[in-house]
Amino acid sequence: MQHYGRWRPGGLTTKVRCMQRTPTTAFLSLLLACLLGGAPGSVCAKPYWMRGIESNDTDFLPPDIAFRVSAHDEGNALKVRWVIADGYYLYKQKIEVKAESPDLVVSAPQLPSGVVKTDPYLGTQEIYTQQVEAQVPYTRMDAGAHPIQIKVTYQGCAEAGLCYPPITKVVFPSAGTTAAPAAANIPPYPWESIAIIGGAVGFLMAGLVLRKGRKLDLPA
Amino acid sequence: MNAIGPRFFAAALIVLLAIWAGIRMHSVHNARQQSANQEHGVAAPAGTASASDPRDVAVSEATGPHAVIPVHLPDFSLKDLAGKATPISEWGGKSLVINFWATWCAPCRREIPLLKSIAAEWAGRDLAVLGIAVDYRDKVKEFAGQFKIDYPVLIGDQDALDVAAQFGMDSPAFPFTVFTDGRGEVVALFVGELHRQQVDFILSQVQDLNHGRVQLPEARRLIGEGLEKLAEKHGA
Repeated sequence: MQHYGRWRPGGLTTKVRCMQRTPTTAFLSLLLACLLGGAPGSVCAKPYWMRGIESNDTDFLPPDIAFRVSAHDEGNALKVRWVIADGYYLYKQKIEVKAESPDLVVSAPQLPSGVVKTDPYLGTQEIYTQQVEAQVPYTRMDAGAHPIQIKVTYQGCAEAGLCYPPITKVVFPSAGTTAAPAAANIPPYPWESIAIIGGAVGFLMAGLVLRKGRKLDLPA
Repeated sequence: MNAIGPRFFAAALIVLLAIWAGIRMHSVHNARQQSANQEHGVAAPAGTASASDPRDVAVSEATGPHAVIPVHLPDFSLKDLAGKATPISEWGGKSLVINFWATWCAPCRREIPLLKSIAAEWAGRDLAVLGIAVDYRDKVKEFAGQFKIDYPVLIGDQDALDVAAQFGMDSPAFPFTVFTDGRGEVVALFVGELHRQQVDFILSQVQDLNHGRVQLPEARRLIGEGLEKLAEKHGA
């Protein structure tokens, strides 16, 4: 579970933009930030009078970061999963899953019991925190002619006092695996190799330093 | 041994630096990967929302409010509870507390008593509280009657969302509140549930601005700092 102790609607995006440099500049800025005792994101500070918008440590997350939805196909049912950031919650009653692709019929999502939340101004509601998974049985009338698409609607809030409008997304469930869908899009930066080579070069240099001034006893 | 000592420490330092650099590089890579997952973690492109439901807003991939908050109060007009088109210029010359809300939003509901008391305290003076409900007219009317909202409320669906966008809130979350001074300059935009101390502090700065005791950039700076301190004080 990702920890989002800090709440930044554009802030997190800003942080990503800041990270998207060359490896060298990213490393140098990280080093500089470490030396100064600050976070890399602070380089991207925005006007602070716009509290709640890219401003400070109590900002809110964008809805797609606060509530991350994914789905996968298990053959006769879909599993729709929401990962909910710390300090945020989804309303059980607001979760809907509908068929989007032709000739697909989905049943009502089967959801686990949530936490009962009572608000004097809104009444009693069941909510989910951290994560929730819905089981959605389906039948296909097209013998697999169309890729499965579902329309997912959900609505949630931040405990700190902010509610997002209902969010509707068309989701293409992945087949048979719950792996993170976007992982394949990440360019293969060879950091591990760099780290290993760096370590090897370090040991070589250390050896040269220790070797300096000494004669090597080579066999005649 | 004496000759080897400094060399040994230098070698150890190089090794440690190499290990540290490797770990940092790896953590930077992981951070990038996590960020990418967060940005693309949804397994599908953004969908479309029902056009008939003003609460049902499609959220694009870029969800943060990226637009610029205007310096001056934008010119707009929305219908009031009675259905009469009401331009914002009706409150010209007054400082405004413009609260964007919706009936389905719990923190918005919690704010109503506070906004009512602010409106009552400033009644007949140079400040007005104005609600902008992004919701169905019938629901808002029912809610306004139930909660006895006695300050003006304007209502809209897409047109109200357009107004929110004019304030830089392209993908709005509720509540959010805009504070303007008597000249119609946007002094602050507060996202989230307001509390008494925050409102009092912002309004004190607005008053200082109205009386020429401070300039707009300074007022904004003071508001930012003051809100930070209040947040720290209350552990926000």
